[in-house]
Amino acid sequence: MITIYRLSMILACVFNFIIGSFVYLKNKNENINRFFGLYCVILTFWVFGCFIESTFNDKFVIVLADKLLYTGCILAAPVYLNFCYLLTKKKDGIHLLKITYLVTALWLSFNYIGPLRKYFIIDVIHKYPFRYVAIPNFMWFVFIGWFNVLVIYSFMILFLYFRNQTGHEKTKAKYMLIAFFVMILAGSFYFLLLLNIVSPPIDPYLLIIYGSIMAYAILRHQLMGIEVIIKKTLVFAGLLASVFAILVLPTLLIQEYIFRGAGAGGRLLGLALSGVIIILSLRRIEIFLMNITDKYLFQKKYDYRELLRTFTSEVLTVVNLDKLVNLTVDKLTDIVKIDSSAVLLLNEEKQQFDIVASRNTKNPKVVLIRPDGIVTFLEQTHGYLLKKELIERRVYIPHSIQEIIDKLNAELIIPMVLHSDVMGILSLGKKKSDEDYTQDDLDILLPLARTLAIAISNARLFSELGRAQAEAAQREKMAVIGTLSAGINHEICNPLGIARGQCEAFLLNVKDGLYNDKSSDELLAKAKDIMAKVIKETDRATAITKKLSSFAKPAKGEAELVNINKEIDDVLGLVGYELKLDKIEFEKQIEKGLPDMFVDKKQLQEVLFNLIRNAGQAIGEKGKITVTARQDGRSVFIEIKDTGSGIPEDKLKELFNPFFTTKEPGKGTGLGLFIVRQVVEKNGGKIYLKETKMGEGTTFTVEFPLTEVRKSRV
Amino acid sequence: MPKAKIVAIDDEVEFIDMIKSYFEPRGYDITVAIRGTKGIEIVKEKKPDVVLIDLKMPGIDGDEVLSLLKSMDPAPKVIFVTAYDDGGKTKARLLKMGAYAYFDKPVASLRELEETVNKAANT
Repeated sequence: MITIYRLSMILACVFNFIIGSFVYLKNKNENINRFFGLYCVILTFWVFGCFIESTFNDKFVIVLADKLLYTGCILAAPVYLNFCYLLTKKKDGIHLLKITYLVTALWLSFNYIGPLRKYFIIDVIHKYPFRYVAIPNFMWFVFIGWFNVLVIYSFMILFLYFRNQTGHEKTKAKYMLIAFFVMILAGSFYFLLLLNIVSPPIDPYLLIIYGSIMAYAILRHQLMGIEVIIKKTLVFAGLLASVFAILVLPTLLIQEYIFRGAGAGGRLLGLALSGVIIILSLRRIEIFLMNITDKYLFQKKYDYRELLRTFTSEVLTVVNLDKLVNLTVDKLTDIVKIDSSAVLLLNEEKQQFDIVASRNTKNPKVVLIRPDGIVTFLEQTHGYLLKKELIERRVYIPHSIQEIIDKLNAELIIPMVLHSDVMGILSLGKKKSDEDYTQDDLDILLPLARTLAIAISNARLFSELGRAQAEAAQREKMAVIGTLSAGINHEICNPLGIARGQCEAFLLNVKDGLYNDKSSDELLAKAKDIMAKVIKETDRATAITKKLSSFAKPAKGEAELVNINKEIDDVLGLVGYELKLDKIEFEKQIEKGLPDMFVDKKQLQEVLFNLIRNAGQAIGEKGKITVTARQDGRSVFIEIKDTGSGIPEDKLKELFNPFFTTKEPGKGTGLGLFIVRQVVEKNGGKIYLKETKMGEGTTFTVEFPLTEVRKSRV
Repeated sequence: MPKAKIVAIDDEVEFIDMIKSYFEPRGYDITVAIRGTKGIEIVKEKKPDVVLIDLKMPGIDGDEVLSLLKSMDPAPKVIFVTAYDDGGKTKARLLKMGAYAYFDKPVASLRELEETVNKAANT
């Protein structure tokens, strides 16, 4: 028991002394570092005094230790108050600080000057089994009152500071407050001993906890402006050592109490047992510590690796512009753990930057126009804009720029530069951890923005290419309609001509008195007959017009349930006449119970139209086209077979290339099969040449998977 | 004057029906056919004054039909009634080859067609 208490005090002393020295050595010239160092030394006095009081028995040494203890005790509160003044940059009430030091001098004289000391502390006696402790006199109680006033005042200063700060500074203040609270707790445990209240002897542990909080805040949050670049191995070694020390405690306990009476042999046995415990648990502790270090202390670097990995493998390869920018903001927000982010892209037409993707920006419709200060800055410098840096350098930020920064919720603004032009802007909000962006961050984010610029430019080119292809497809379709005009003329003008002729014949017959001998009933029957014929003919013309206009319209890109049988009939309505003229027979074999397919209807029509028309053109005159549709497994297979000329072997490779054609000039632009394949693939299907034989014919197969087509949106 | 004897050949039943419902009540001797080959047989058999024929029908080629009909004795007058439009080239060629007339479908005026038939029958 006594050993553990002593050991914990030594640990607390060493730990706090190391932290104090470290902070002091980091910047000897800063008052705040000096005072913190001093404060740590003072704490060490206090704790070391306690250590001696619980270790030695010599009265002289004990009294000396008690004086050392109270030197620390008396100095702790004012020095900490001074530290709080420096930390919070408090300017008012300096005279209060001076008075405090004067009073402190008074208390020190009570501690050291013999005749005065008896009013302060009567004696130091072996009051508890584990330590000597002072017997307080009335001045001691006055001192405690004074001590509490200083503590409360310090706490108030820290708390107000915490309340007024934002961001990272607030986080720092928070840690200071927590550490301070733990320390007060430790101090009060000692004072309670004097008041005959036996508190558990955990005050040294509390001081170790206090030191740990401070160490963590320094490492992680650059407390007192200390930026520590410590190798992971070093931190790891330190952590391992401290855990090792804690592990030693129970083994010491075992040695002290269980094997004590067993003499040297027993001690050796105890040592061996400790060794076994350490060896058995070391590896597990090592792994646990490695995870802890990775997860909490070096999270930043861990994140960067993930950031790079995610962007190179998942984000930058996306060719859909919309998806690319949205993924960018999503992944940036998640991985860098920031409050908000946005991607703005240059709209060349309007000469402004529009938000194309954003997360948590205050105003998702911010527009940056060229003459805006931010844009000019980014375009001229190609550099980044860091809000904190501007504030620190006391750069004047015009209201208009401040407004944009606020709307974007931005902390860091990076231009996306491509070929020396700013083509976009990346806006990053505050980190959720309240940390500031460091040089490390910028070293990763700036190249990332440049790479992103390339990816965005690629995606744009890709979408332009897609648009050009869609336009080409539409042109091709219009060309097809042009070539169909003879058939269309026949299919529309003939019914109309017939309807007209029927009416004209009836009217002329009536006019010329040819129906004079007919009764009114007979005439009515005749008229009814003609009207029925007229309706039939106009319906015929309407149907073909509808088919044509539906075919000519660009596809909506929406999948729906489509009946293959009906679509073949519709397409036949358009090409049927042409086939008939060329003496081409048409046969349709649709498997019974074939399920409807979930595809874009118009696009399916386009595919069928092109394949049937190609088949017809391959035949030329006299032949047969057979269209079959059947289900096999989870797919629908549509086959278009012709008895045409076949495709020469050397042309097979180029079959689906754009502008490849075997047709005579003027008969086709060559886009047909190329577009057919694109459309089929867009609908989740496949198209391939099943077989071709010169002089015998060709069969194309189009395959649509049934499972996929149900879900896909084209 | 007896009314002209006509044979109309068109693969479109509705068109043939319309032509028939105009000419028949007017006392014309009109026979119709919806298949080219059958139509030629009917022409051979009926020896009509005028043949109304569509240019584009499965199994029929305008030029061949015209020369075939021209070679008959007595040769009927051939009037093409067709929706085929190639900018007047075919029309000019057929007229030059000896077709009596060439009507575009849809027929704008049945009266006009009748007058042309009558004129053809009487020359």
